Amino acid sequence: MMNNKNSQTVAEYIKNWSRKNSLFVMAYGTGCGAIEIPPTMTSRYDAERLGISGAATPRQADVLLITGYLATKTLKRVIRVYEQMQDPKYVIAFGSCTINGGMYYDSYNTINILEKYIPVDVFINGCMPRPEAVIAGFQKLQEKIARGDADNGTRYKENLEWYRSNQKKVIKNWRMPDYNW
Amino acid sequence: MSDLIKENEILEQIKAAFQVEGKVSSERRTEVFADKTQVSSILLLAKNQYGFKHLNHIACIDWIEENKFELVYILYNHKTGLTLLVHTKIDRENPEMENIDTIWDQANTYEREMREMYGIEFPGLVGAKEFILEDWEDTPPMRRDFDTLNYATNTYFHQAGREDAQDVRTTISTRSGEEIPDFAKKYSRDK
Repeated sequence: MMNNKNSQTVAEYIKNWSRKNSLFVMAYGTGCGAIEIPPTMTSRYDAERLGISGAATPRQADVLLITGYLATKTLKRVIRVYEQMQDPKYVIAFGSCTINGGMYYDSYNTINILEKYIPVDVFINGCMPRPEAVIAGFQKLQEKIARGDADNGTRYKENLEWYRSNQKKVIKNWRMPDYNW
Repeated sequence: MSDLIKENEILEQIKAAFQVEGKVSSERRTEVFADKTQVSSILLLAKNQYGFKHLNHIACIDWIEENKFELVYILYNHKTGLTLLVHTKIDRENPEMENIDTIWDQANTYEREMREMYGIEFPGLVGAKEFILEDWEDTPPMRRDFDTLNYATNTYFHQAGREDAQDVRTTISTRSGEEIPDFAKKYSRDK
């Protein structure tokens, strides 16, 4: 790996290795997929052996799980949580609802494509994904971190205007704090 | 099947007190079709006189063909196990209904929901204007003339469907050179 000219420096390698092995997941669930988190975290599937554990507040968390459909009302809270999280931050989206709206594609109060509003690292398909799929998604995220590709926090800051315009199209009454990170 | 004595008795009593239509629709279930102005007095009488202490639910139905909203007050009597349904129809244009949260406090919640989802006004109703929705500016969403797909298409982004989406049966039958059996033909997309 070190011989490859595109490879990382030793410092970067160590940084990414330690980041991928301590993923703190924000304790926040939307929609129906949040029910898949307890079995993933507890003894049957035991995600903690991969370094995945819970965090109580957005400022302590690395990973935000969007576990299913997002009502526009919830989207507002999700954006606030996402913006409060410290870099590096990752988003894993569960289920068809976050990819194309799923069975709620024609609903008047759920958004269809999550990636237009906040950057997503890994999509897990299924309705809903089982804990095996969830863990596979986490492993994909870990591979991405190890490669050094997971920098969506920076991407969000750089393209904030585009994301804001999409967000404000849905959230009409924008009463949100501005973070300067 | 019992001979519905109790159910008929309630119906006769309400019919004697008010000029209303009514029927016993099944065992333990009496229905009354009342005028908009009579509803609150029927509910008060049912609660205080006939022991229908429990307001189960207030349902709203949008009869767009008749240009009416139908409200159904569902009451329950815990002593006798009887259910009483009080139907009433109100105009769909500028719908307005009497506020009954002085009779049952929990009616307030249902009325706030109907105000938001159907746009029915209840004069004197206390409570925040927003119930479930946030910053809603369009037609009340549960009305039948509200086109939810159209709204979603205009408001949210849409993922285009796959262009190569085809009928699986056709694909398989052409690949294996078999004909689609008759019983499966009626489910086929290209007829």
